[in-house]
Amino acid sequence: MTPLVLALNLALSFAALAALALSLDRHHRDAFLVRVPKGRARTLRLAGWAGITASFAAAVSFEGWNFGPVQWIGALTGAALLVVALLAYRPGWLRPAALAALPLALAALPFALKG
Amino acid sequence: MRQGFRQSMAWLHTWSGLVVGWVLFAVFVTGTATYYRTEITQWMRPELQAGATFDAGRAADLGADFLKARAPDAVGWFIGLPQPDKPLIEVHWWKDLAGPFHHALLDPATGAPTAARATQGGDFLYRFHFELNMPPLWGRWIVGICALILLVSLVSGIITHRRIFADVFTFRRTKSAQRGWLDAHNVTGVLALPFHLMIAYTGLVTFALMYVPWGVTAAYKGDEIRFFVEAQLMPEVRAPAGKPGGLVSLSPLVAQAQGRVSETLEHVAVYNPGDAAATIVTIFEEPHGLAHLHPQIAFDGASGAELGATGIAKAATHISASFVGLHEAHFAGPWLKALFFLCGLMGAATIGTGLVLWTVARLPKPAERPGFGYRLVRALNLGTVAGLPVGLAVYFLANRLLPVGLEGRAETEIRLFFGAWACVALAGLLRPHRAAWREAFGLASLLFLAVPLVSAATTGQHPFDGAARFLGFDAAMLAIGLLLAAASYRAGAPRPRRAGAAEPRPAPRPAAHRAQAAVPQARSAEGAEIRRRA
Repeated sequence: MTPLVLALNLALSFAALAALALSLDRHHRDAFLVRVPKGRARTLRLAGWAGITASFAAAVSFEGWNFGPVQWIGALTGAALLVVALLAYRPGWLRPAALAALPLALAALPFALKG
Repeated sequence: MRQGFRQSMAWLHTWSGLVVGWVLFAVFVTGTATYYRTEITQWMRPELQAGATFDAGRAADLGADFLKARAPDAVGWFIGLPQPDKPLIEVHWWKDLAGPFHHALLDPATGAPTAARATQGGDFLYRFHFELNMPPLWGRWIVGICALILLVSLVSGIITHRRIFADVFTFRRTKSAQRGWLDAHNVTGVLALPFHLMIAYTGLVTFALMYVPWGVTAAYKGDEIRFFVEAQLMPEVRAPAGKPGGLVSLSPLVAQAQGRVSETLEHVAVYNPGDAAATIVTIFEEPHGLAHLHPQIAFDGASGAELGATGIAKAATHISASFVGLHEAHFAGPWLKALFFLCGLMGAATIGTGLVLWTVARLPKPAERPGFGYRLVRALNLGTVAGLPVGLAVYFLANRLLPVGLEGRAETEIRLFFGAWACVALAGLLRPHRAAWREAFGLASLLFLAVPLVSAATTGQHPFDGAARFLGFDAAMLAIGLLLAAASYRAGAPRPRRAGAAEPRPAPRPAAHRAQAAVPQARSAEGAEIRRRA
């Protein structure tokens, strides 16, 4: 079902982009007040790109090659806007929100599979 | 060339963006609204109940009966069949291919002109999006040229942006006015960049044959119709025989066509209806997919025999139709459509912030009198960015407040839209600049917030009446009104100091005292990074 797949895409993209944002010194400082440690930056970057890839895989496998990429890009844009808004107004909320988004994506998965 | 590549691209981006920015802002706002064209039209015709299904054959016959009486000598009839979301028969007819095109809306039950209020509804916003309410060809050329310059502006903007990946999430709203506007421009531009590139390019593709017709003209020796037929965009058409003939009843043909194609039948066109060689074409909704291709079947108007049908399009047609499909996003379900809508708003925001940035970056020193060019840009910015929302709200309010039976009602709505827009632009000249922004946004906000109230008062339909027919529309008006109220408040807030002036550090965030020590070190690291990149 498309809305659930889209929810899955949005949640995954949001968590992934939040990880990528937090792997950057400036935003890590916004959220945690310290520069990002080297190892952590690498982990976050890896997790971020993995999440974006997983979101693409989910979009294409559920929606096919014509609608999947459209939905993937749309979800990335919407999620990125949310990341920017949180960083600008509530940077401390970014990590908990991203962590909450992951189980949300997982919860949407079985429904998306069934639909 | 003394300047570097990036500087010359920055120059190109600044000026290409400025000259078309005002038109493009209006094109983006109305285009974004067009994603909800059907919903807007439904709201603007509150007399009609959506949801019923109709007998397409009977509706086609009713439309043909009306046209036989009204325009027997027309060279073309176009009958839009009623659908659950649009319970009207919409007929067009023309006596000359160059126009004028006449138009009427009929009640699907009786075939008589509808009793619903006269309005162009969302169709006005749709047409304005690519024709600017001008004669079609003029408007399309102007919008096309602007779209081409938009592509130039997008590409030069990407090159100009020094740290497109590193700054992708960066929005420093508290640093300085110029920094804030630049970051807002970058964020809305970069995050929705795939959309912006797609929408500018596919918009041009939609009218590509009008903008660059020479390939088809040369290959088909001027016979464009042949091209459309071979591309499977339309079935064979016939020249008129030149002698009068009868026209068969449409409903059996409609039934026959519906038996062949599983999509919804949307239109029935009749070419040369009074002629012995009349042609009837049934046009279906595009099958679910990206491509915007309508299956069509043609019949002989005198005998009812099938003349031909569109086949399967080849790759080139399919790709170009997919571009058009992507632009219109008919395939998108409600949630994906909401994301398209959001991207459209981000496009409008990119243009709006870019326009404002131009003036913020050239802010005259306190003792200096701003030059004419500067004042012109400022006035046009205010007139466009704050004036258009006022016009839109007035358009919706006029729909509810003008008497239902008023002569020329649909045109009056549109005149009020432009009138209100122009009033705000002109009134802005009389007021101090900041006050003008605050008041114009404030006015727009009040007008949008008034829309659901006025609608409830005049139609008796409101979100709490159990039916909640226009819940979505009312909620959207409320959200837009609140957004504009926030904009009005921000426009009136004290101005952060100019970039370059000594800037106060942003207020420490909660618990910042714990890590104050880390900040100077981090700042110098950032400084070093900027120096390294520069």
